[in-house]
Amino acid sequence: MIEVKNVTKKYGKTVAVEDISFSINDGEIVGLLGPNGAGKSTTMNILTGYIEQTSGEVTIEGYNTLKKPKKAKRQIGYMPEGVPLYTDLTVKEFVTYMAELKQVDRKTRKEKVEKVIEQTGLKDVENKLTKNLSRGYKQRVSMAGALVGEPKILILDEPTVGLDPKQITEIRNLIKTLGKTHTIILSSHILSEVSQICNKVIIINKGKIVAIDTPENLENKVSKNDCIYITVEDAEDKMSKIKDKIPEIKKVELIEKNEDKTKQYLIETDKNVDLRKKIFAECAKENITIFEMKKADTTLEDAFMKLIEGGNK
Amino acid sequence: MWAIIKKEFKSYFFSPVGYIFIGLFLLMFSIFFYVDVFYYQSTNFEYIFYLGTTILTFITPILTMRTIAEEKKSGTDQLLLTSPMSITKIVLGKFISAVLIVVITELCTFMYFGILAYFGSPQLTTALATLLGFLLLAMSYISFGVLASSLVENQIIAGIITIGFFILLWFLPNFSDIFTNFSLINLFTNFPEGQINIADTVTYITFTIACILLTIIVMQRRKSVR
Repeated sequence: MIEVKNVTKKYGKTVAVEDISFSINDGEIVGLLGPNGAGKSTTMNILTGYIEQTSGEVTIEGYNTLKKPKKAKRQIGYMPEGVPLYTDLTVKEFVTYMAELKQVDRKTRKEKVEKVIEQTGLKDVENKLTKNLSRGYKQRVSMAGALVGEPKILILDEPTVGLDPKQITEIRNLIKTLGKTHTIILSSHILSEVSQICNKVIIINKGKIVAIDTPENLENKVSKNDCIYITVEDAEDKMSKIKDKIPEIKKVELIEKNEDKTKQYLIETDKNVDLRKKIFAECAKENITIFEMKKADTTLEDAFMKLIEGGNK
Repeated sequence: MWAIIKKEFKSYFFSPVGYIFIGLFLLMFSIFFYVDVFYYQSTNFEYIFYLGTTILTFITPILTMRTIAEEKKSGTDQLLLTSPMSITKIVLGKFISAVLIVVITELCTFMYFGILAYFGSPQLTTALATLLGFLLLAMSYISFGVLASSLVENQIIAGIITIGFFILLWFLPNFSDIFTNFSLINLFTNFPEGQINIADTVTYITFTIACILLTIIVMQRRKSVR
């Protein structure tokens, strides 16, 4: 359980994060989303105790980060942005050092280090110096460092930046697996990633929270209309008449005339009304041949852009 | 804290720094020793430490300049500062591991004492007083070096600040007599004479504690201004 109450962070006169409040329940995977410089890292740094907020309160598992920093920090495994590692240590030494810093009991330390190395798939490279590893492996080492000591909460700052597609999938799967046993907060500016992994999204822009909701709800909130894209062969130009036949249709708009004499239309309808059956039936009556018809989903991307633009106005 | 001492101490020997520091000292000590014994016909253990302090002034930064600056530059300070380890322990850990390197160097110098004891009769108490004085001076220097390292992100700049400050302290008495007791290196002169002066000792220890406290304050403060 993480509770953030009215947190503000100022650097001199510049405000990095202004009056943000949110709470995260156990077992949630939360995505912090926002354009660069929005305050994602600042928020994470405050949660982890790397920096102190100018005002406001943060409690981690009931421990106030300013009053009981030691206990609060013990609940958190942090993977910083840019995966900083001690380059003169081997993977195993690094993870062991992290375990020591987190004051993992000496008796169980070795076993716990082994466990996270296994968990993050680092067994093959455990005796290599971290500086000689590829980016994907470095990311895992940093993850192992965060995981060791069995923290309840994992905070991952841009966990997939700089990875190739295969590595991204691997890390995402790892995060999903970890999500079953941990509360996870991750920041990202890749929207598809957030909508895939997270069950809650916090959108930040210019240091303020713009929205907190599930990815699905955000998508729904933003789009007031559903859209259907339809490509037809319509020699007699009867498409415009369809609108009169089906009262639920709000708008029919010609988007594109293709070279093969087909035309693509955009049909806007009320929300959550699927008109595809009716359109199909009407088109058949009017002798319009349908080549393609699909319902367009509003994506988190749309939601994001709308929210961010709304904030900028 | 033990974890930090262990890791820092090890990393002195993963990089050439530890070897350079100890090696350079032993090389210079050996030269002084040779000159002392063969040119001045002296069986005096303490003499080599007078010149030793000069070397210490110039090479302390190689021990201390990267301690905190490097962590900030590579971002690993995020790992340290977000761990349950307190800033005090982090700073002390780094300080103690650097002091340990000096202690090792001092232990090595016992070979000169051994050689002298074989051929003559050097005084053990004077030798120990000298070693204590040297350690106290080294502690003061290291604590300032760590402070300088906490102030900047570039380790070279940290090194330059450190040497610059030591040289300034060294020559302060030349400007005015008021500063005689501010010159850390001058305070050392009583120790090789077998005198453990309370005033000197207290000055060294106070200076060390002040620098360590300042380092802790600097790092604590950075949390709220960073």
